[in-house]
Amino acid sequence: MTTEPSHLLSLLCGLPLLAALAVLFTPRQMAGFIRGFTVFVMVLTFVLSLRLLGADYGTAAMQFSERHVLVPAYGVTYSLGIDGMSLWLVLLTTFITPLATYASWTHIETKLKEYALSMLLLESAMLGAFFALDVLLFYVFWELMLVPMLLIIGIWGGVQRVYAAVKFFLFTMVGSLLMLVAILYLVQQFKEQTGHYSFELRELKLLLLPATTQLWLFSAFALAFAIKVPMFPVHTWLPDAHVQAPTGGSVILAAVMLKLGTYGFLRFAMPLFPSGSHRASSTLALLAVIGIIYGAYCAWVQPDVKKLVAYSSVSHLGFVMLGIYSLSSHGLRGSILQMVNHGISTGALFLLVGVIYERRHTRLLDDFGGLAKVMPNFTVIFVIVTMSSIGLPTTNGFVGEFMILAGAFMSETLGRHGPIACFFAATGVILAAIYMLHAVLKMFWGPLTNHENRDLPDLTRREHLVLAPLVALIFYIGLFPNPLLKPMSASVDRFSLEYLAKLRAGDQNPEARGMLQESFVPAGATAAVKVPDGALAVGGAR
Amino acid sequence: MYQKALLGIVLFPLIGAIANGVFGRKAGRNVVHAVAVLSVACSFALALYAFGSLLHLRYGQGEEAASITYTAYEWFSLSLNHRTLSIPVRFVMDSLSGVMTLVVTGIGLLIHIYSTGYMSEEPSYARFFAYLNLFTASMLILILGSSLPVMFVGWEGVGVCSYLLIGFWYENPNYAAAGRKAFVANRIGDFGVILGMFLLATAANSLEFTDINELAHVRPTQFTSALALGPQGAPFWVIPSISLATAATLFLFLGCTGKSAQLPLYVWLPDAMAGPTPVSALIHAATMVTSGIYLVCRLSPVFALAPATMAVMAIIGAVTALMAASVGLVQNDIKKILAYSTVSQLGFMFAAVGCGAFAAGFMHVYTHAFFKACLFLGAGSVMHAVGAHGDADIRTLGGLRKYMPLTNVTFLVSCLAIAGVPLFSGFFSKDEILVGVLSSAGYFSFAPWLAPTVFGMLVLGATMTAFYMFRLYFLTFSGEFRGGPVHETHAPAAGAHGDHGDHEDERHDHDAAHDHDHGHAHHEPHESPPSMTIPLIVLGVGAVFAGYVWIGIVHFEPWVKWLEPSLGSIHAEHGHATPYIAMAFGLLAAVVGIGLAFQFYYKGSEVPAKLATQFGGLHRLLMDKWRVDELYDATVLAGSRGLARLCAAFDKYVVDGILTHVSSQAVASLSFLFTRFQTGLVHAYGAVMAVGLFFVAFHFVVPHADPAVVGDPTGLSVELAANQGLGYEYRWDFDADGRFDTEWSNDSKAEHAFSDADIVRFAVVFEGAGYGARPRTLVVAPKQEIKVSSGALTRIMTRGELSLDELGESWQRGEDAAAPLIKADEQGLLIKPRGARVRKAGAVQPADAEVRVSRGEHVSIGEARLSVSGYVKPRVQVRNAFGMERTESVGVVVPKVPPRITAEIAAVQGSK
Repeated sequence: MTTEPSHLLSLLCGLPLLAALAVLFTPRQMAGFIRGFTVFVMVLTFVLSLRLLGADYGTAAMQFSERHVLVPAYGVTYSLGIDGMSLWLVLLTTFITPLATYASWTHIETKLKEYALSMLLLESAMLGAFFALDVLLFYVFWELMLVPMLLIIGIWGGVQRVYAAVKFFLFTMVGSLLMLVAILYLVQQFKEQTGHYSFELRELKLLLLPATTQLWLFSAFALAFAIKVPMFPVHTWLPDAHVQAPTGGSVILAAVMLKLGTYGFLRFAMPLFPSGSHRASSTLALLAVIGIIYGAYCAWVQPDVKKLVAYSSVSHLGFVMLGIYSLSSHGLRGSILQMVNHGISTGALFLLVGVIYERRHTRLLDDFGGLAKVMPNFTVIFVIVTMSSIGLPTTNGFVGEFMILAGAFMSETLGRHGPIACFFAATGVILAAIYMLHAVLKMFWGPLTNHENRDLPDLTRREHLVLAPLVALIFYIGLFPNPLLKPMSASVDRFSLEYLAKLRAGDQNPEARGMLQESFVPAGATAAVKVPDGALAVGGAR
Repeated sequence: MYQKALLGIVLFPLIGAIANGVFGRKAGRNVVHAVAVLSVACSFALALYAFGSLLHLRYGQGEEAASITYTAYEWFSLSLNHRTLSIPVRFVMDSLSGVMTLVVTGIGLLIHIYSTGYMSEEPSYARFFAYLNLFTASMLILILGSSLPVMFVGWEGVGVCSYLLIGFWYENPNYAAAGRKAFVANRIGDFGVILGMFLLATAANSLEFTDINELAHVRPTQFTSALALGPQGAPFWVIPSISLATAATLFLFLGCTGKSAQLPLYVWLPDAMAGPTPVSALIHAATMVTSGIYLVCRLSPVFALAPATMAVMAIIGAVTALMAASVGLVQNDIKKILAYSTVSQLGFMFAAVGCGAFAAGFMHVYTHAFFKACLFLGAGSVMHAVGAHGDADIRTLGGLRKYMPLTNVTFLVSCLAIAGVPLFSGFFSKDEILVGVLSSAGYFSFAPWLAPTVFGMLVLGATMTAFYMFRLYFLTFSGEFRGGPVHETHAPAAGAHGDHGDHEDERHDHDAAHDHDHGHAHHEPHESPPSMTIPLIVLGVGAVFAGYVWIGIVHFEPWVKWLEPSLGSIHAEHGHATPYIAMAFGLLAAVVGIGLAFQFYYKGSEVPAKLATQFGGLHRLLMDKWRVDELYDATVLAGSRGLARLCAAFDKYVVDGILTHVSSQAVASLSFLFTRFQTGLVHAYGAVMAVGLFFVAFHFVVPHADPAVVGDPTGLSVELAANQGLGYEYRWDFDADGRFDTEWSNDSKAEHAFSDADIVRFAVVFEGAGYGARPRTLVVAPKQEIKVSSGALTRIMTRGELSLDELGESWQRGEDAAAPLIKADEQGLLIKPRGARVRKAGAVQPADAEVRVSRGEHVSIGEARLSVSGYVKPRVQVRNAFGMERTESVGVVVPKVPPRITAEIAAVQGSK
């Protein structure tokens, strides 16, 4: 544990915010400066974020933690920290954002300054959401993310951008508002049982609520997160948002923002309400599996390649959710890895689609064909990313999917449903090959019939520069996933131990169930939690 | 030292692939093929070296189960049964993988050399060699991988290379589609491999082949126990009761049917001939397609534990062998015949391993690699000679013996080998397969018909093989040259056998460059350059002699001995006569097949044409390859495509419709409703206000007391409170005897200490077993009985009775225990425990005792708890300012016995 105070996280989160402020006061005529400065700040943030790797992830404790009390009377704090579960998602954010921004400069022609501002704000909000260890703080960042994304889709998007932006905003808001209600109720319960308010995650986690209450509160959280993930059947905002969003927006949306949904399950919904989560686990696993298959089938017949990729996200994120609910060590690690993988490969796919859209101003599969002849490098990279997306061994997608499927198969909490879930999820492996290769076939192979495609230029240097690191990561993670998986282990193990222990505590103490009027002292609650090997040290340290 | 060679074997082709893939486009042809050929040559040399070391370990040092292992690093890890299951990148060469490595690198090298000639005019030369090298590397990973996941890397890797190479001339949409078909069919198989892998992992706690195989030897019960899958108590027809080994091997076999082109997934292989011919030789004949048999051999100890799977394999193998051979009888495209021949031969191999003849099946993998590669390369040489690329109709060939002597000889020996003519390599392996099949009768004790049937089918298949191979040979090489393929008339010629959409036949101009390069179709055929003929000669020699390396002429003991440490075995017995019976039938098959072909096609006979017209329906069916593709198109493909369309439409109209349109409509209609209240018309507001005022006034006119107990009464003294209201006055009748105990007063609160005499009824608080149950209060008067019965809980609860279910599982003391009798009297409850376990103050009460439970006491029956309190129902009369009166009452439990949890918490806290 880092004992000396560190302000790295505040710095990472604040830097884009300050830069946004600076951009705000820059005259819009200085377009070149704004472009350069924005990317520079983002790259700087990425470089600084590499320092996060220096911490010791052998323990499950929060690293680089910061804590300031904001509103003492209501226990609202500014507490930040990261652990093995959020480390790679944070790095993914700082890594993808400059790439997405840099790649979109050629495409954004109007209101450049506002675009830069939105991207910077977005990065800041996303990082804040990953860092936040206080539910109210998290909520603030979570909602803050919506605004720049709303603008990005609504201003720089396609023809139906306003419809898509409003749909995106309303869908997410409905879930978030219910989550806010749940947060307030939770804090009220905490106050009733302990006598003081607190919004801090580590304190709220100690609360042992009756199972039914947990189920309700969990459902509110889960709805907010499931919409973001997005899980079947609340995914329908995603295809619209993706199709309408500009390339940069799509990349960020797919690579990072969706992960906040799955991350929310891991960080908040499940640790706070294990019994509720457990009761809903079969349903969620079922929805995840439906999402895998359904998303794949929907993707297969989309005429628009961007929509196809969007539906493939529904399918991929279904894998992630299934892995989370396997609650096995490798299922969870696979899920987190798959979040990163999806960020890389789907991010790359959206970048590639952006490349061709910029050249042809169409994304319809029928307008292409035979592109391999004129754009060989583009084809090679597209095929590599496709292979990563369908989980070919030696690419990153395989390791994640394999661990998730193994996790579901051998899951103790899913029990006999595990192998069945695994069976159906594994058909997603076949379907992924079908829909992705369908796209590849339509776009690249066959004769070059459309004369508009005859003189398309291959990738430019800028595009090579953006895509090369992604391709490198695809193979690096595929061949050497351990450097990513190892730092997750401690946090993930602690997570599942704590979850299961709290679940057992709820089971063993019937008084914690169905008894709202009996006050329950949290000290007693934690005492009742069986601590297998001291891994729950954080849980008891108050 | 020699361990590192394993890494080199894999890495060299990989480096070659990367080098050619990245820099090949700019490098010259010589550099490209030098890199490609040299990388495979290095790999072959290292393979020889490693194999030599293996031989030395085995025979020099006497290590029975000699193997060479190289561990590179830990790839990732799983956790299984609370233990870490590490998955390292590790390569192992043992007797099985050693042979296979030599075959792949050796034949791979020859085909690389051949390709330098065959593909010399190809514009995408570097791309071709990059793919070919990548394929070699993947295949070697597949072979050398020490665990299922590492093998799976190669398994999928070869699938991708196959996809890329089939669609090598991607500009032809049919070729690209053939590539995709291959990939998807393989992926369906991969799905099976993944599930099979997990099943094995749960049984063996390991994914290493050696661990799994050893466990299968040492503790077979680990695999043969019945599988607990699916919801508990599901009927057997939902989840049939099968052993883990059977389930796992069936899933793995699904993978094999994909990779090794067996029914039902074989359909991709004939289409795969769209790839360049060297690719067909290397990938789709000699190496990749045999990896299914390799996998079965690799895990043969586990497969041997699953007779059901073995039977399935044997049958599918035999049926595939027969079906593909029957298609081969009538096809006219040289590569198509060879493709169906490959499918058929793979069927032979699966029939063999299915019958437990693992060594024989693998032997056929080895010999088949030589003669089939030689046949494909020979076909390539022919097409090169006559200027056809990709397809050549044998009816337009003939007499090539004169022009291409080397190709002719090598093709002939390979035909002799595949037909099973004695002393050629194919004879030995085919013979051993037939022996193995006949000997397995004892193993399939549950299906005695199986072994003879499979044997019969294989003999028939072998006859067909001999026939169609020599039909091919005679039509191509003997007689007079019939002019070669003519591109202009090609399409009608292809359509001669009907218009059933054989789309491969339409692929004549895949590449402008190719048309140009091979525009010499009408010239005389010529022998191919040495870069092509030398590999042919080497493979031809192999086709003759490959069998001898391992065989003492009649018996193939050395081969079996060598592979013994790697292979599992079944209990197979055969009589002395069996080898001779098998050999006799094998010979008969070869003689009949070749003889018929000689008669029909060498001598020239009208019989084939007559047969074709006489059995027109069958002939067309065979020409159309049993119309399996059409069947799949109409069923599986159309079905899943329809499902996809359905999903997309469902998503658009139903899911999104509900989420966006229905919700927005709901908001809109609510807002419509609310706008009606905001009309701005004062008289409307006034009317609404008047109605509201009326209700308010009515509320004030009718008094309502709503008496309630304040706090939890601990003793007999109870504090009661009623509602306050405008000018309310109250008087109380505490004991509910009809006479009011207090005078009218303004005080809404009252306190009363009940005396024992006041309490004429009892409140029995019943807390059932389990934490889902909420406490229930039953009010009983003296002499009233509380029945305890069984039946539907809801009905019992509404009748104010207790259910036996609520007492928990262990309420009975004996076998046929009677329910307790519970009756109330003036003092409280009297319980006769009878057969029930009744505890009072911790002690179990005797069956015939009368257990008294007075007020404030509690007993437990089974896991449920009964506590007894007094029950009174005081009344209050209220009068308001308008003089209207109303009487209400409230039930009070005195004293309230704390529920058991409170007691337990107190106990816990007290103990600390």
